[in-house]
Amino acid sequence: MEPVTPTTESYLTFDLGDEIFATNVNNVLEILEIPKITKVPRCPPFMRGVINLRGSVLPVIDARSKFGLGETNDTVNSCIMVLEISMQEQDIKIGAVVDAVQEVIKITPADILAAPSIGSKYRGEFIQGMVKCDEQFIMLLDLDKIFSADDTSILQQVAEA
Amino acid sequence: MDHLQHTFIAEADELLADLEHILLKCDMDLNNKESVEAIFRVMHTLKGSAGMFGFIHIGELTHHLETIFDSIRETHALLSKEIIDLTLQSVDHLKNIIHDRELGRSTNAVRHHGLMSAIATILVEPVAGGDKKAGGKSDIISTYYIIFNLSAGIFKSGNNPLYLIDDVTALGQAVVIPDLSGIPPLSDLAPDCCYTNFELILATTSSPDKIKEVFLFAEDQCGITIEKLSQTDLLSDIRFKSSVLEHALKMSQIGLKRLKSWLKNETNKSDAIARPSNKRESQRSSIRVSSDKLDGLMNLISELVTAQARLTLLARQNNIPEFSNLSENMEKITKQLRDTAFNICLVPLQTLETRFQRLLRDLSRELKKEIDFITDGIETELDKSMIERISDPLLHILRNSVDHGIEASEERVKNGKKKNGTIILKAFHSGTGVYIQIKDDGRGIDTEKIKTQALSKGLITGDTILSEPQILGLVFTPGFSTAEKVTDVSGRGVGMDVVKRNIEAIQGEVKLESRPGEGTTITIRLPLTLSIIDGMRVKIGASEYILPLAAIDKCYEIKTEKLQPGLSQKLALDGHLFPVFNLREAFGEHTEKPKHTQVIKIHHDFPACITVDSVIGEYQAVMKPLTSLYGEKDDFSGATILGDGSVALVMDTAKLIKKLSEKVHATFQ
Repeated sequence: MEPVTPTTESYLTFDLGDEIFATNVNNVLEILEIPKITKVPRCPPFMRGVINLRGSVLPVIDARSKFGLGETNDTVNSCIMVLEISMQEQDIKIGAVVDAVQEVIKITPADILAAPSIGSKYRGEFIQGMVKCDEQFIMLLDLDKIFSADDTSILQQVAEA
Repeated sequence: MDHLQHTFIAEADELLADLEHILLKCDMDLNNKESVEAIFRVMHTLKGSAGMFGFIHIGELTHHLETIFDSIRETHALLSKEIIDLTLQSVDHLKNIIHDRELGRSTNAVRHHGLMSAIATILVEPVAGGDKKAGGKSDIISTYYIIFNLSAGIFKSGNNPLYLIDDVTALGQAVVIPDLSGIPPLSDLAPDCCYTNFELILATTSSPDKIKEVFLFAEDQCGITIEKLSQTDLLSDIRFKSSVLEHALKMSQIGLKRLKSWLKNETNKSDAIARPSNKRESQRSSIRVSSDKLDGLMNLISELVTAQARLTLLARQNNIPEFSNLSENMEKITKQLRDTAFNICLVPLQTLETRFQRLLRDLSRELKKEIDFITDGIETELDKSMIERISDPLLHILRNSVDHGIEASEERVKNGKKKNGTIILKAFHSGTGVYIQIKDDGRGIDTEKIKTQALSKGLITGDTILSEPQILGLVFTPGFSTAEKVTDVSGRGVGMDVVKRNIEAIQGEVKLESRPGEGTTITIRLPLTLSIIDGMRVKIGASEYILPLAAIDKCYEIKTEKLQPGLSQKLALDGHLFPVFNLREAFGEHTEKPKHTQVIKIHHDFPACITVDSVIGEYQAVMKPLTSLYGEKDDFSGATILGDGSVALVMDTAKLIKKLSEKVHATFQ
C-alpha cells in the first residue's frame, strides 16, 4: 500500500479514439462486456439503446458519438461502463460504450492542469482538467455536466422530430 | 401494544368509512330502519375497540353517539337531518383524532368539546321527550335478572364496567346492586384489579339478545348470566322493589333463588341464557394484508414470469419431450398464479364511492345546487395502486362539474332543463384499458370563453387557428381557469393540468368533450395493470417489440411489395379500408425488407393497422420502466426482458397510433 493523502482521488482511465479520458471512480459502478443492445426507435444516434442489467433496464449511450469523435464498430476491447450520475437532482444509472478501459490511477489535485481553452476540439465545460501521465495527457471528465439538463432536452427534441 | 394500536387504527378507518357510507344512504332515506341498526352496530364496535386500545376520547364520543342511535332504534323515532349532519361531522372528527388520541392539537380539542356538547343537547331532547316506557307503543315489558361477574383483570383490557352498566340501564328501568363482598382488606388490594360484581334487575322491552349485545366486548372478562324473571314489569311492583332495595343495602348477593322466592306467584321456568362464546365472531371470509406484502408478492411473481420465459426458451432449444412437457405445465401454472395474484391486487372503484358521495353532498349544499349523483359500473376493478392515485383527480373533476358545470336550479328551470342536475360516474372495461367517465348535464364549456381566457393569459396568440378539441384541450394547460371568481371549491387554475399530469403519471389519458348547454363529459383511460401484461412478440428489423395482446383485433399477411413507401396509406382488408402505419418507416428501420409483412389491426378510438416484419408469438411481459432518460418517449410504455436476456420494448399502441396520425395529419396541412 502506498501512502495516500486524503485529497488523493482515484480515476479510471479509458480510450476513446486516440485519446485517453478519465473519470472519478466514484461514478463508476461496474464495467460490462457489450451484450445485445436493444435499439430504441426515434432517438438521437448517440443513444445506443437499452440493455438488461440483471433484470433492470439500463440505457446505453455511445461515448464516441456523444463527444463527436465519429462512429466506429465495436471491437473486443469495447465495453460498457455503468455510471451513476445525478441528473435533474436525481441519481440515475447509465451505460457508456467506450473503446477500452485502461486502469485506475491516483491523482492529487496538484497534478491537475487547467484544460486549454483554445484549440481544443472538445467542448471545454465537460473537461474538469488534464493530467500528464507518461508523456501523455489524460482528460478528466465531469460526468454530471455531460449529462446535464439542457442535454436531455436536446435528446427530447430529437426524439420529437 | 403499538402494533395493536395500528390494527385498531386500520380497523377504525374501515369502520368510519362504512359509517360514512351508511350515513349517506340514510341521508337519502330517513326511514331506513336497517341503516339505524347498522350505524348503531358500527358505533358499538368502534366504542368497544377504542376502549380496549386506550383511545379514551374516541370511546367517549362514540359512546354518546351510540346512545343517540340506540334511542332512535328503541323509540322508532325518525332520524333527523341534524343528527346525520352531526354524526357526519363527528365521523370527520374521529378520523382526525385517531391520529391524535390525546387531543394534543388544540383545534381537535376544541372541536371535540363542541361536538360533545352538541351531542348532549340532542341526547337530552329525544330521550327526555320519549320516555321509553311512557311511549306506550313498545311491546310487553319483561323483567330480567342479570349477574355481572367481573374478572379481576377487566381494567387491563380497557373496559369500563360502569359504561356497560350505563348501557344496560339505558335499555329500561333498572336496579343495580353492587356486590362488594369480594373486596379484600386494603393491604391486599391491587389498585388495578376489579373486585366488584354487579347484580341488575332490569325491566325492559328489549329482548335478551339485545341485552347480551351490550356485553359483546366484555364477554371474555366477565361472566354474564341473564335470567328472565317475569313477563311483567316487576319493578313497578312496589313490594318486590322494596324487598330488593332493602336487601341491596346489606351488600351481599341476592341470588336467583331468593328472587324467585319473592316472586311467589311466578311459575315461569327461568331459561338460563349462557352465551356460547364461539358464536361471538362470525367466520370472516376476508383477511387484512398489508400492501407491502402484496407488493412483495407481485415482485416475486414478476421474477418468476421472467424465469419462466428462460425455461420455455431452454425447453424449445433442447428438444426433450419430458422437459418440454414440464416446461409447458410450469408455464400454465405460472400464468394462473399471475392472474390470481393480480386479482388480489384489484380493488373495485366502489371503495371510492363514499368519498364521491360525501363530496357531492357537501358541495351541493354549500353551493345550493340540487344534484342527483348516479354511478354505473362502479364495481369495475382497478389495480390498488391506481385506485390510490386516481382518487384525487376524480374528486377534482367532480368538484369542477358541480361548481362550473351544473347551473343553479332557477337557471336550469329557465333553460327548460329539469331542476336537479345529474352527474353520472360510469366505469367500464374496453380493450387494453379501463375507462372512467364523468358526465354532467350542466351548461357545458363555452369554447369562445376559453379562447378569450387563453388569449388574455397569453397561452395562445390571436392568429392561432384551433379546432374545437384543441380549444377544449387548453383547459388542461397549466395556469388556466375560466371561473370569474375564485371560490374555495375551484377556480384557482391549478386544477385540470394537475389532473392531467396525475393521470398521465399512471400512463392514462384524459379526454374532454362538451356541448354548450348540454353538458360535459370527461373520459379517463387507464391501463389495466402496470406490472405484467399479456403481449404479442413481434419483430421489426433486428429488434423485437411487445404489443399488448388486448389491443389486437386481427393479423393479416401481405406481400411487402404491396406496401407503398411512406409512413401511412390506406389498405383494403376484409372489404374495409383501414389506415395503415408503416412502423419500419416510423422507427427509421433501414435493414433489408422481408418478403412478407404482417399487418396488425388494432382498435382503440378507431380501427387502424400497423405493420411489423414478423409475429413471433405470445409473451407475458413483465414491465420495467424505461429510465427517466426516455421519460418523454411515451409511445413505449416500458421494456421487458426476454427469455434470452435481451430487452424488448413494449408499445403503447393507443399513444403510438395517436402520435402517428397526428404526424400524418401535420404533413398534410
